[in-house]
Amino acid sequence: MLFNTIEYLLFLPIVVITYFLIPHKFRWILLLAASYFFYMSWKVEYLFLIIISTLVGYLSGVLMEKYPDKKSKLLLLIFNLCVNLGLLFFFKYFNFVAENLNLLFDKLEVGRNIPLMNFLLPVGISFYTFQTLSYSIDVYFGRQKAEKHLGYFALYVSFFPQLVAGPIERFSRLAPQLKAKHEFTYDNLSNGLRLILYGLFIKMVIADNLAGIVDKIYANPNNYSSFDILTGIIFYSFQIYSDFYGYSVIAIGSAKIMGVNLMNNFKTPYLAKNIAEFWQRWHISLSTWFRDYLYYPLGGNRVKKNRWAINILIVFVVSGIWHGANWTFLIWGALFGILYILEKIVNSTFNLEKEHKPYSLWHILLSIKTFGIVTLIWVFFRSQSFGEAINIFTLLFSGTGQTAEALTIPGYVWFWLTIFIVTDILLYNKRFDSWLANIPLVGRWVIYGIFIFSIIVHAGVENFPFIYFQF
Amino acid sequence: MCKKILFKIFLLSVTVVIISFIYNKWFYESDVQKHSDIINLVRDIPNDADIIYIGESSNISFRGDDIDKRPISAFVGDFFPKLNTYDITKPASHAGIYKILLANIPTDNQVKTIIVTLNLRSFNATWIYSNLETPLQKSLVLIKPYPPLFNRFLLSFKGYDIKSESEREQQYKKKWKSDKFKLPYEFQFKNVIEWDYWMANSGIKDSVGNIDYKQTELACHYIKTYGFQIDTTNNPRIEDFNKIIKLAKKRGWNLVFNLLAENTEKAKKLVGDDLIYMINENANILENYFQNRGVRVVNNLNAVEDEQFIDQDWTTEHYAEKGRKTVAKNVSEALKTWHNDFYVEADFSATYQTDFFNNCDNKNVIWGQMHTITTELAYSGKKSSRTGAGNDFSITLEYPLKVIPDSLKQNIAIELMLNQASSNHNAKLVMEAYGTDFRPYWIGLDLKNDIHEVNKWVKYNKNITIPDSIKQADLIKIYIFNPTREKIYIDDFRVVVENR
Repeated sequence: MLFNTIEYLLFLPIVVITYFLIPHKFRWILLLAASYFFYMSWKVEYLFLIIISTLVGYLSGVLMEKYPDKKSKLLLLIFNLCVNLGLLFFFKYFNFVAENLNLLFDKLEVGRNIPLMNFLLPVGISFYTFQTLSYSIDVYFGRQKAEKHLGYFALYVSFFPQLVAGPIERFSRLAPQLKAKHEFTYDNLSNGLRLILYGLFIKMVIADNLAGIVDKIYANPNNYSSFDILTGIIFYSFQIYSDFYGYSVIAIGSAKIMGVNLMNNFKTPYLAKNIAEFWQRWHISLSTWFRDYLYYPLGGNRVKKNRWAINILIVFVVSGIWHGANWTFLIWGALFGILYILEKIVNSTFNLEKEHKPYSLWHILLSIKTFGIVTLIWVFFRSQSFGEAINIFTLLFSGTGQTAEALTIPGYVWFWLTIFIVTDILLYNKRFDSWLANIPLVGRWVIYGIFIFSIIVHAGVENFPFIYFQF
Repeated sequence: MCKKILFKIFLLSVTVVIISFIYNKWFYESDVQKHSDIINLVRDIPNDADIIYIGESSNISFRGDDIDKRPISAFVGDFFPKLNTYDITKPASHAGIYKILLANIPTDNQVKTIIVTLNLRSFNATWIYSNLETPLQKSLVLIKPYPPLFNRFLLSFKGYDIKSESEREQQYKKKWKSDKFKLPYEFQFKNVIEWDYWMANSGIKDSVGNIDYKQTELACHYIKTYGFQIDTTNNPRIEDFNKIIKLAKKRGWNLVFNLLAENTEKAKKLVGDDLIYMINENANILENYFQNRGVRVVNNLNAVEDEQFIDQDWTTEHYAEKGRKTVAKNVSEALKTWHNDFYVEADFSATYQTDFFNNCDNKNVIWGQMHTITTELAYSGKKSSRTGAGNDFSITLEYPLKVIPDSLKQNIAIELMLNQASSNHNAKLVMEAYGTDFRPYWIGLDLKNDIHEVNKWVKYNKNITIPDSIKQADLIKIYIFNPTREKIYIDDFRVVVENR
């Protein structure tokens, strides 16, 4: 059940109305049932995986408190890591590893062939396994008390607004909110609906319209001129941003109506002045997850410079691989890691890490520079193979300017993209719902009208599922 | 709080009304042309129609060596020359699509009789859950009987039968498994999966006893296509046809269901009597079911012989000329029920034709590569054929040259209107010929030697002397070949075979 379908537009009000009608003590049952129903709409069988992840996370937490000696706790944590990462490996990486091993066997003429698995990647598996893992690691280190109520724990793992593509929430932040008794408030309703409206606009009007154009160019790049390729690359930057940002905003809005505040996953990342800041503003819940559960345990920046650089590279490479089982994701992550390190070195050597006033000329120039770098690196993220990415770069820099296929971009796509960019610039360090709340009623309703119009009349009509569902 | 919410609901309603007005006035029609141009098939029907034939590709498919390549609907029209017969033809469509198209026929249209294609295969799981269903359903959303803005809302929020290829595959495979055969005699297979598995493993043997894999694959395909039994209570197609019956009653139309011919000869040869039993049983079920509901059903099931099926290695209802004429004749006999006074015996005796003309607008003129027809530009009427930028071949005359007496075919005169965006191309006028007794013939004449004007309609003439060596060609093809990215539009394409 996608957020941008009629099914969800019916599902959400039914859940919300029932949520506020029933007594507080039954609400977790409703939300858990709704979340499982939501997940089963993709494939019923994969619910089994969430249940395994939930039970392992729950039991290991409870048992860690029951057997607090270091050895038992460590064993339980290892068991938990094995099950959750094992699920992730099996469903996400098995075929990738097997394919590469088979290639290696071919080269070495070993005469072995690992059979490949034929199944679809369970939606959201990377998200809910990471959520379960963060809880278990926190319990292991004593930062979090084990949850005794299986129902609430199951709800924490599967809460439907953020189940399939985040934000990846921490137990300490989400669980108390799920347990709290929320009253229906007008402010939560209006703020939630504002976020959903904005999320639908950026997903359906921006991302889905750009997706068709980007897909066309990436399907036959040789048919297009360098300028068209450049257009496609830039459009992909906006497509992936609006696709994932749109999902996150709808998720936050949906939870907000029920009084649950999910963390912000994006803060105008394309206005970041450097790569480090970009990662503080892009997919924040994943960045902070890697920071807390990988970067810090590796020593963070409290180590020698060389070691720090290696830590950074590890984090980015792992982050790349988290996104997908393909060498292109690994290269994508590694490139970000290398650039992050280089930028830090250059900035500290030349003392360039100054604060710049928002919207100042320096801010704008640095943002354009960061956007340019990120846009080029996205080519690896979008390409199906390393060869495809290299071909895109070759065509970009050595194209003849001739086209075999005319690239037609409807005027309304440019119009709405401009509206989105302007809105995003205005939203620097602000959130759409609170920004909108400060606008007088008439202006607010004009904005609502414009967004409703764009969603109904100019939404992309092809079916492009959210990009991050595949991760 | 309630007051506040009610006030906001009021504001929302006003907003929606304003958006609806703007959408209807300035956006709806262009959206319809972009996403639901299927409606033009209905809009093209004039108000003075007497008979409308609605069907899929079976109506318009032809074989290269057909002397008369016109569709079944045009042959039906030959039997009723004083009545206006039109067609609505949408490839891959079925009753679920017809019902919406028919509902869009304006109420002031004079049409008296509707002939609806009843395709047996459209009742099987592979067609019901076909990949083509998603784009077909999408193309209908904007023409549903709801307010335009609501239809656009349904389109934006995917409010139609939208499924991925793998989901569709799962659906029909599930159906293959769950539908158990119920025959009045002992049958060794429980369902189509078992039957198909058995055929794939046992195979069809050739004359020396080796497995003929091509024939085996075809036999398996026949099993998967025809190995089903229609359940009139649950098959969604039945419901679609029932809705058409209801609509016809409401609009006062005479209704004919044209049960198309299937290649039962091949089915018997490849698979055997069990499959034939199922095909006949299904045909009888449909015939009885709809006749009991007051519809005239024309049963063509076994009316077309194997040789007349164009696709010999797949299951389709694409007939060569004789097959199309047979179906048309049977349908016309049924139409006598209401139009007896207008019936004449059609003269199908013409053995050859020497003058061919295609203005891209006449639906009864069927040439090859008709998918290149576009409304982007036109010299006459509204349409032309676009070549280049992906369309290498223009509309193509295909004809069995051998049927024209030698004494009448010395020369071929070609005349067409042409519009090129630039002369940066190497497009050619091509004539090719094939035959059993000679090597394939090909001649290409560069257009840019004769045409220099751009963005302007220009007349192009050429005379080609017919070499003696190709006079007995089974098939000649004449077309513009443009493999470049430059677009060239062709209109009013005339080919005359002459004796000078």
